[in-house]
Amino acid sequence: MGEFKGTPATGDLSVAFSNDELHILINLVEQLLELLGERNFAHHYQSDDPFAQLMTTHLMNMEPLSAPEDPVLNRLLPNAYADPEAADEFRKYTEPRLRQVKQQNLMYLREQLVFPVDHELPKADIAISDPQQWLIAINDVRLALAVRLGVTPESFEKYENLPDTDPQKSLFAVYFWLGGIQERLIEHL
Amino acid sequence: MSTEVEELSELDLSKFFDRPWVTIVWDDPVNLQSYVTYVFIKLFGFSKEKAHELMMKVHNEGKAVVSAGTREAMENDVSRLHEHGLWATLQRDIDG
Repeated sequence: MGEFKGTPATGDLSVAFSNDELHILINLVEQLLELLGERNFAHHYQSDDPFAQLMTTHLMNMEPLSAPEDPVLNRLLPNAYADPEAADEFRKYTEPRLRQVKQQNLMYLREQLVFPVDHELPKADIAISDPQQWLIAINDVRLALAVRLGVTPESFEKYENLPDTDPQKSLFAVYFWLGGIQERLIEHL
Repeated sequence: MSTEVEELSELDLSKFFDRPWVTIVWDDPVNLQSYVTYVFIKLFGFSKEKAHELMMKVHNEGKAVVSAGTREAMENDVSRLHEHGLWATLQRDIDG
């Protein structure tokens, strides 16, 4: 599974997933969306809602945002400056948008993944209508997983030597599987 | 005497402000080499060779300067790199 067909040029690029693979990936995407959403509820409001704008304006006037405590969020929304004060100031103006872009990428990926599940299709051929957005979303899932697993350059060797009974083994397997998907997707761009 | 001091401080300031800002990409064990190369081509319009060379510099030396210019331009570059999941910061070009 994880085989690509078609090309972006002809607009018919797709990837085949088993149902198990699909559910693992949807699960990861949804968990990451929840993690990213905890500090930004702007998407619950209509943008022309005056109350939503009032709140947004209020947020923008708050103290500078500091780096997120969760290591996954800290990796996905990193400091732009080594100096903490400059980093917080920059974060105040840019982090809400960065979160939003990442949420949009993941929502797009999720929509494409849940389509065959919702329609009970026998084969999960996932259409990749926007390969670039797909690639970024998959990469964010890999980054998040890597932080939780504590991935280092030596992780592949460690993974290969883990006994099958180790609960970390399957998580590492998903991480390296996603790396393979990403690698093949880049080859198709 | 006071004129001399003023001239000196003026000279120092101009040297300081002439230094451009730079965007630095840092090595991490997760982003694939092919992905980093792809992002460099996409965001900066580098040739495949130039993008690959920079990616290898990040990989081997732990970091590489990928762009230089005004602070605003570098903040924009860092934001776009963060959108793509690369680990990037901006700073004044301390190496001159």
